[in-house]
Amino acid sequence: MSTVEEFVTKGASDPSTKAKQGESILNRLLKLLCSVRLGVTLLVLLGLACLTGMLIMQQNVDGFARYFAELTPAQQIVYGKLGFFDIYHVWYFNILLAVLSMNIVLASIDRFPKTWLFVSKPNVSVPIRWLREQKQTAELEFSGTTKGTVESLSAAMKGQGWRSVKTTEKAGRTFILGQKGVWNRLGAYAVHVGLLTIFTGGFLTAQFGSTGQMPLAPGQSTNLMFETEVNLDKAEQITKRLPFEVACTDMQQKLIKKEGSITAMNTIDWITRFTITDETGTHEAHVQMNHPFDYRGYRFFQASFIPTGRARNVTINATPAGGGDVQQLTIARDGSAVMKDGTTVKLSEFRGNFSIGKEDPNENTSEYPNPAAVLEVVQPGSPGQTAYAFGPKLADIPIAKKPVGGYTFQLADYEKVADQHILSVQRDPGTTVVYVGFVLLFLALVAVFFFSHQRVWAAVDPAQEGRVNVVLGGNTNRSVNAFDETFKKFVGGLDARPSSLPLNPQG
Amino acid sequence: MSQVLETPVIISAESGNNLKTVPSWMTYIPAILAIGGSFALLFIRLNVGGARFISDGALMMLALAAYLIAAVFHLTNLYAPFRLAEKLGMWAATLGVFFNLSSWLLRWVAAYDRELAIFNSQGTSAADMPWVFRYVPFANLYDLSLAFAFGAGITTLLVMRRQHFRAVAALSLPLASIILVLARFIGSELIDLPPVLDSYWRPIHVGIASMSYGIALVCFAVAVLYLLKDGLQVEKMAIWTSAFSLAVFCTVSKFSVFSPLTFGTYTASTFLGTSRMSLPLRADIPFVGWLIFLSAALLIAASIGYGLFISKDDANARKWGSRFLYGALALQAAGIAMLVYQIKTIGTVVSQISTTQYAKFGAWMLQQQEMPQQQINALGEAQLVSMASKWVAENGSQLHLSLNANPVELAALITAFTGTFFVVLFGFNTEKIRAFLPSADRLDGLMYKLAGVTFAGLALLLITGAVWANESWGRYWGWDAKEVGALVAWLTYAGFLHSRIAYGWRGRRSAFFAVVAFLFVIFTYLGVSYLLPGLHSYA
Repeated sequence: MSTVEEFVTKGASDPSTKAKQGESILNRLLKLLCSVRLGVTLLVLLGLACLTGMLIMQQNVDGFARYFAELTPAQQIVYGKLGFFDIYHVWYFNILLAVLSMNIVLASIDRFPKTWLFVSKPNVSVPIRWLREQKQTAELEFSGTTKGTVESLSAAMKGQGWRSVKTTEKAGRTFILGQKGVWNRLGAYAVHVGLLTIFTGGFLTAQFGSTGQMPLAPGQSTNLMFETEVNLDKAEQITKRLPFEVACTDMQQKLIKKEGSITAMNTIDWITRFTITDETGTHEAHVQMNHPFDYRGYRFFQASFIPTGRARNVTINATPAGGGDVQQLTIARDGSAVMKDGTTVKLSEFRGNFSIGKEDPNENTSEYPNPAAVLEVVQPGSPGQTAYAFGPKLADIPIAKKPVGGYTFQLADYEKVADQHILSVQRDPGTTVVYVGFVLLFLALVAVFFFSHQRVWAAVDPAQEGRVNVVLGGNTNRSVNAFDETFKKFVGGLDARPSSLPLNPQG
Repeated sequence: MSQVLETPVIISAESGNNLKTVPSWMTYIPAILAIGGSFALLFIRLNVGGARFISDGALMMLALAAYLIAAVFHLTNLYAPFRLAEKLGMWAATLGVFFNLSSWLLRWVAAYDRELAIFNSQGTSAADMPWVFRYVPFANLYDLSLAFAFGAGITTLLVMRRQHFRAVAALSLPLASIILVLARFIGSELIDLPPVLDSYWRPIHVGIASMSYGIALVCFAVAVLYLLKDGLQVEKMAIWTSAFSLAVFCTVSKFSVFSPLTFGTYTASTFLGTSRMSLPLRADIPFVGWLIFLSAALLIAASIGYGLFISKDDANARKWGSRFLYGALALQAAGIAMLVYQIKTIGTVVSQISTTQYAKFGAWMLQQQEMPQQQINALGEAQLVSMASKWVAENGSQLHLSLNANPVELAALITAFTGTFFVVLFGFNTEKIRAFLPSADRLDGLMYKLAGVTFAGLALLLITGAVWANESWGRYWGWDAKEVGALVAWLTYAGFLHSRIAYGWRGRRSAFFAVVAFLFVIFTYLGVSYLLPGLHSYA
């Protein structure tokens, strides 16, 4: 990625770092900040900080409390003071990123003018000695006139793909420069612009972004989200208010094995349907795994779920106590159904593991060992009564056989779903900027590494007795092996022979 | 062209010999055959069905065999350049890439068939069947390793297009073989896909990962060959590989071989029944610890000998260093052989399990049951031990050893052995190898090119990962261990590229950078999954 013209500054590969004596401190500092050497040092430091963060568990990772407890008190204090448990947000890490950004900007400004010369003022006439020093060089002898030789060389260069051909005359000698891909020199700058764009986006995210969790279940409605802030092994919840109201209408879980549990490993997809209400009206929305939903700069994702066994809907067999036809009712999670005689049956609760009394909120019932539906049966003109509908396993317990409102109820089928889906809600004004940076970075990297700036010079001496002496030389900033072969092919294809004349030594 | 001359064309001698090469498209034939053949095999498999077809696991073993055969041809070619060996090596490598990709493609079909059977048994209608990209075999570390080896294999084939670079295969194919051996140890069972991975970003992201890793591997191989060509003393290389081996010896078996309390003991994790989860109940494997200790001692002795030779030019020290190194090589081989033999033959495992692990195992069991850490801490050690001994008494007969229980440790031991093997090999007739290798300039150019492509690939890996994370979790960067690992590797390649401008570093120092960068790639690929917690814990 050498962006410095070789014969201008041979030897000093990074001239800006060479501080002269007697320079002001400010000047020296500026030179340091402009240098690529500082950039390399910063890259190494950044790498070391990242490695530290990988080897020492960060406080926002699951299981940190256990990890923290297992450390010795000395480790807890020293790592804590050095900020190692949250190294990516600690002050010196931010300073590192800031200095790196500044270094990229200043080094680019420092180097760009010289690089721009490749484009604006290509060096057509070059010293002969320098041409001979190139790795690829040749001295040939053509027959004919100077003009004819220049024309045929120019045509040959174009034929070889060095499409931009310029000629100039200096001290009686004609110089030809054929080149291609000069814009490749600018690729490195584009890469860094892309990188800085990503940094800017990241800064916007850190400053103006917000994120939170929103637990939802059908029938619930909220405009709050909860953010967890971790500080060492203590977690704190912060509540944030959204500018609209979210009301859940339906939750669904597509399972791989229907008789299996509602755990993540048995699930193909989660679907949460909800409405959003604000001053512009009510809007339908649904969020699936890997299919977020966007609204007013907020983005909703499937994040996790509470694995308490619930039913999206139940199918209930209502058997008349006095005998007669069994009626089948399908009731949605927060819904109800009306029977032929006008009795309304509401699904008030569904439990994956039924027991008398209140449900233990910490119990994991994702396996549905003893499913049961708790119903409210309302006959026209009388108060509601509680009834139970059990699956086959509990069908024989007394409470299942006791008629309510003239019916016994059996749980024929149910569609499994979790108790709550927890959506993650995100507002991130930096994403677009970051994405623009991604595109720029990638395109620039392709432009840099899959192309190269190739240059070939020919110095044509005036014809002497119908013979023309030519010195050829060329270089490339990348893909040296391929260029070497192209150059040899080019020289081999020229209608000439090795030079026999002693060349004019001047130059 | 009217002025053109009466004299016939003469071409300079230097440029002549390169002109009569084959047309450039022909050099792509091996790569095209390998890829085209794999897809043809996939097509046949789709039409024939899986019942009587070769399995993806068998194809993987064939790929491993083909890579090793190709490596042997190319290695012999280093010492005795021989047109036929080079050709055979080329075609063996092509065959290896064919088997490797075929195995991966067939795995895709196998995963689809597996879930189709589940859905059929559930009576789910075909319309509800998820789309076919759900089954792209990028679900766990086995799949990634298979694709990684393919990335290395196909890159090697492409590098070998130029005849002078064919020697690269002598190093890159053994490395690709190690990756496949690791895959074999991980085990090829198809897993249920965690739902968050069910995204079209997965094939894109992981596909880029495997290709970039593969190119990085070949870049590493070129860097090592460069160092050799450039005249880096093989004795110095031996000191480095010995240090690597020692690092492996210290860390395997939970640091037990060299810690004072368990000195000389090597332990291996166990499986319970048909479960594929490695338990933290580790069985002592007799003799292996001592073999490791002895090879470590010899490696240290060899390093000291070589160190004396390098600093004082003491030829005698060098002679002894070499002897120690040969001894260490033999012991390393013996250690691995003994380990495999014992794992295959030890019948009753319980008697090999030291009861000192019980307290930790008890705590681990409670953690598996998601008991809060404070409650576990509140239990006394005696209680944990009694819990664990009760569990072992009940389940001990079902415990068994398996090569699949410690994939990374086994692969690390084999990698350490390979490192020693190669320095021993390079030690013979070094000058002959140096003469055979392409010029340092050419190797440097190739290394730069591969590093550049790896850099672009890793950038794309980070970008696609960020986009996917943003689609799934609503954040494009979360400082997750695997993200950071890839970033560190990327930064190291960035350092490689910038050091060329900043310090004008070419050649040797550049090559060191490429070596270190590849170590970070490997750390990201394995270390994060096996050592560090985080989101990428599945792969």
